Amino acid sequence: MLVLQLLTSGLQTGALYALTAAGFALIFGATRIFHFAHGATYALAGYAFVLADHAGLPWPIGCLIALAVAVAFGLFTDIAIYRPIQRHSASFFTVFVAAFGVVIFIQSALEITFGRSFIAVSSALTHASQILPGLYLAQVFWVAIAVTVLVFGALGWFLSRSNSGIALRALAENTELLRAYGLSARRFSALAFALGSALVVPGAVLGAATTGLSPVVASHVMLVSLAASVVGGIGSLRGAAFGGFLLGIAENLVVAVLDTQWSEAAGFVVLFAFILLRPSGLFGTAVAR
Amino acid sequence: MSAYLLNLAELGTIFALLSLSLNVLIGYGGIFSVAHAVFFGVGAYAGAQIALHLAPDVLLAALGGGLAAGVLSFALALPALRVRGEYFVVASLGLQMVATTVFTEAQGITGGYGGLVGIPPPSLFGLDISSPRLFLSVCIAILLAVMAGVHALMRGSFGRSLMAVRDSESAAEAFGKIVPILKTLAVVLGCIIAGAAGGLFALQMSFVNVESFTLDQSVLIMAMVIIGGVGTLLGPLLGTALLLLLPAALSFLPGIPPTELGAVQQGIYGLAMTLLMIFRPGGIAGRAEGRRWGGR
Repeated sequence: MLVLQLLTSGLQTGALYALTAAGFALIFGATRIFHFAHGATYALAGYAFVLADHAGLPWPIGCLIALAVAVAFGLFTDIAIYRPIQRHSASFFTVFVAAFGVVIFIQSALEITFGRSFIAVSSALTHASQILPGLYLAQVFWVAIAVTVLVFGALGWFLSRSNSGIALRALAENTELLRAYGLSARRFSALAFALGSALVVPGAVLGAATTGLSPVVASHVMLVSLAASVVGGIGSLRGAAFGGFLLGIAENLVVAVLDTQWSEAAGFVVLFAFILLRPSGLFGTAVAR
Repeated sequence: MSAYLLNLAELGTIFALLSLSLNVLIGYGGIFSVAHAVFFGVGAYAGAQIALHLAPDVLLAALGGGLAAGVLSFALALPALRVRGEYFVVASLGLQMVATTVFTEAQGITGGYGGLVGIPPPSLFGLDISSPRLFLSVCIAILLAVMAGVHALMRGSFGRSLMAVRDSESAAEAFGKIVPILKTLAVVLGCIIAGAAGGLFALQMSFVNVESFTLDQSVLIMAMVIIGGVGTLLGPLLGTALLLLLPAALSFLPGIPPTELGAVQQGIYGLAMTLLMIFRPGGIAGRAEGRRWGGR
């Protein structure tokens, strides 16, 4: 039963990782910007939700506030940081360092404002009840799975059916051609940032309700969504989703054999193995060295 | 000189070695590692064990630390040969996270969270150099020797080939440079110096634990190199001095509670990194225009 219990919590964590990683993959796929500050978006959205909840606002309003914060911050990084940098240098290194600086800055700003400890919202959804002998499940599990399926369904529909979605995929494949069709690459890269940042909201809200938030969460989520997108194949949405689930489950299942301290390391061992053996990931195309 | 300033100068010398060594990877090799604290840590643990069980000799600790880190540096060289750019950063992040856990859990060697305590005061060839002034002089001598060595290497054939690989791997290959060997050598060289700095650190602190070798430390070292200026000889030293003096300077400012100092300091260098990349990507000591090598 322990394995089954760990598997369900792995699925729940994995669902949140999958959504966050998909946001990262969407941004990278469309704009080729390695958005390290994605984790900061997650932390800010989560803290916004917790603040709204502590202020006594109903949770749908809280989610909307979190959404607004996430989208605004995503757009801010695109407009105020990446664009000025890309004007003078297209180097990965410069973009990476700037984004990393943003993560550090947001993390310490949160630390100064809210303290280092965990904060969380309490919700009836997280009370676990016994479903099978020895298997405890809280309703939040079903919420997490349902939200993930819904969001991925909607995202898939958007990217394959709507005009903006198709343009977004075109941006990923051939920017020049997109311009030739009279569409603005800049506008669609902003759309990618808005959409990708919005994808952190379900994870951030559910994370605040289950494990709680701390400033470190920014870098932790950054690492996990990076790892998930590499495992899945950078830029591939399907891959990021799959990678998220894989890491979530690996993190939880390892507890069956080793101490809990190893759970974070387990995910990164998976990552390291992938980079050495199959750097293009599960669904990616071959990487140019 | 007061004990506080001497202590700061000793730490400064050790961190100068560290940022110098990371600069070999980032600045000259284009190998963007965020796992440098791992090799600093391996060196520190090795140095501490040597001091505890053999002799607290400065050179022995530095050499032992360098050797241990050099051997383990193949864990970083391997992904550096397989992937580059973003992928390598992610790989080194993974290595850093796994190593932090190993440092915490391998209590037989590292002492876990409690760390290794009671490292005896440093000596050199049997002479006692535990007075801060003497120890500082030895550290500075080591730093100058390493700086001269790195400078000579980077001006010579090895350095030129390495920078060619950094700027364009395929062009370097077309000129007959053996890219995998050059990259591996750069990683091993950088990590050996970091390990040696670790050995000195163990003797300087007379106590080491995992907190000095986490991702935060790797980021701090990285910030020193970047803020100072990558690929220059003096940039990392300048960055080290600035970032080490920052907490001291901040503690003189009124209105910041001491408990928040760490967070304020991190916030400042995070902001500095972002702003520098927007306005002066070469760092303070670097050229004003953007760097030449582009990744893609």
